[in-house]
Amino acid sequence: MSIDALSASRRVPVAQEGTARPSPARLLTRSLGRVLSRYWTVAAFVVAWQLWSWLTGYNQIVVPPPAMVFGDVLGNIGAYLPDLGWTLAMSAGGLVAGMALGTMIAVVVWSSRIVSGMMTPVALVMRSVPVVAMIPVLARVFGYGWFTVLVITTVVSFFPAFVLVGSRLRAAPQATSDLMAVLGASRSTVLRLLLLPHAVPGLLVAFRLTAPTAVLAAMLAEYLMGGRGLGTLFAQSVSFHEVGRAWGAALVATVVSVACFVAARAVERRGTVRFS
Amino acid sequence: MSRVPGAALAPSRGLAAGGVLALLVLVEIVGRLGLAGPGWPPLTDVFGYVAKPSAQQLLGRALTATATAALAGFLLGGVVALLVAVLSALVPATGPGLERLAAVVHAVPLIALGPLLITTAGREATPTLVAALAAGFAVFVAATSALGSANDAQRDVFTVLGAGRASTLLRLQLPAGLPLIVDGLTLAAPAAVLGAVIGEWFGARRGIGVLLVSSMQNVQTDQLWAAALTAAAISLLAYVLLVALRGAVNRRFQ
Repeated sequence: MSIDALSASRRVPVAQEGTARPSPARLLTRSLGRVLSRYWTVAAFVVAWQLWSWLTGYNQIVVPPPAMVFGDVLGNIGAYLPDLGWTLAMSAGGLVAGMALGTMIAVVVWSSRIVSGMMTPVALVMRSVPVVAMIPVLARVFGYGWFTVLVITTVVSFFPAFVLVGSRLRAAPQATSDLMAVLGASRSTVLRLLLLPHAVPGLLVAFRLTAPTAVLAAMLAEYLMGGRGLGTLFAQSVSFHEVGRAWGAALVATVVSVACFVAARAVERRGTVRFS
Repeated sequence: MSRVPGAALAPSRGLAAGGVLALLVLVEIVGRLGLAGPGWPPLTDVFGYVAKPSAQQLLGRALTATATAALAGFLLGGVVALLVAVLSALVPATGPGLERLAAVVHAVPLIALGPLLITTAGREATPTLVAALAAGFAVFVAATSALGSANDAQRDVFTVLGAGRASTLLRLQLPAGLPLIVDGLTLAAPAAVLGAVIGEWFGARRGIGVLLVSSMQNVQTDQLWAAALTAAAISLLAYVLLVALRGAVNRRFQ
């Protein structure tokens, strides 16, 4: 699916080269139009928020107007950055650990028929377990601290990598596998030269799926357990009735989450071109 | 036809049962020996707790609340997501904007939404709405790609025969996309359960989520694990039901 989109996007500039070069003014209106067609709903959302805070006449303690929230984020950015950095570090650490673990176990499952038969149902059960809802259990087992946040982001990042890498390992191109078999390649050589490179796109999809989830899980864990990070900032602002700060934390969290998704998608597209 | 895969399945069923059994035994041993500290009880203790009538009453009440919220959220989110996907198929100009909005709404972290929904929609409705958002996103993503999945030749036939957008949607895109939409529903069902549980963390009166947080805070380890296992069980049940539905749909439409 993404490959089709890629080839389509590559085709567009080629088609344009034949035509006359458009004037800068037309380029500007075209790119403005594109931004508008993609983001009009987001703008409408902010407008609706503003209208809602005017029309309902709720106290600012219940619904702060957008200007107040944006003002707090831009004016007191120093209050957000340390927590933001902490949450991102926790998410990134868990993401790397979880995806590495998922890939390793997928390779182990690939290498042994027995392990594969035993792990498949376990993976199925685990996949449908709501991992984020298990934060209280993990907090009880591992204690209230940054280590538990790291465990939670690792667990959340594990399954997509495990499932997607595993399915790529089993779906290697037949012709290449046959060639390597004919040339007498050992299993580890096949794994190193054929299967692991073949599995990279699966890992990239897992990365795109997991990156926003890991950030979300880190924040939920911080919200429930305290300590440091955006989730704790939010919980504390709510309990001290600092509404602007609380909604600001929510806004920063949203922007970071969207940015993670966009960045992960860009990484996936680049990587897919490189490895397929 | 089904005999050959069935024969191959028999030994792997044994391995599957072995795998689940090994997992259960491992959990029991870790708890029995206290390898993970007091927070990890032996599984038999948890089942002993669930066997008590008082615990069953408590879990049953929580289960009813959560399952109701998850089901209502699943239906609400699924229907709204399908309607929005149909809208973006009928009026293609709205498509990119609606997709962005869905991505942004999905990216709004639940910790931000929960308190917001509590103040605006009330305690009772929050778990349902969070479940609807979680399920709706999965359905929306699946439905938009499903409605685009009819191939060009079929589309050309419809265009040549003069079919409008509405009848193309009804007679080509929806039937062709149904398997993908059901795939989305399969993902949406556990998402709805998770959404309902998380929605309850922000101040609902009863439910599995409330039980999870209060047992965590009061160090009632058996109750905590029993609540977690219940949440996992309903999530698994929802998933299995929808996988069965998917099998039926795939047999009919492919």
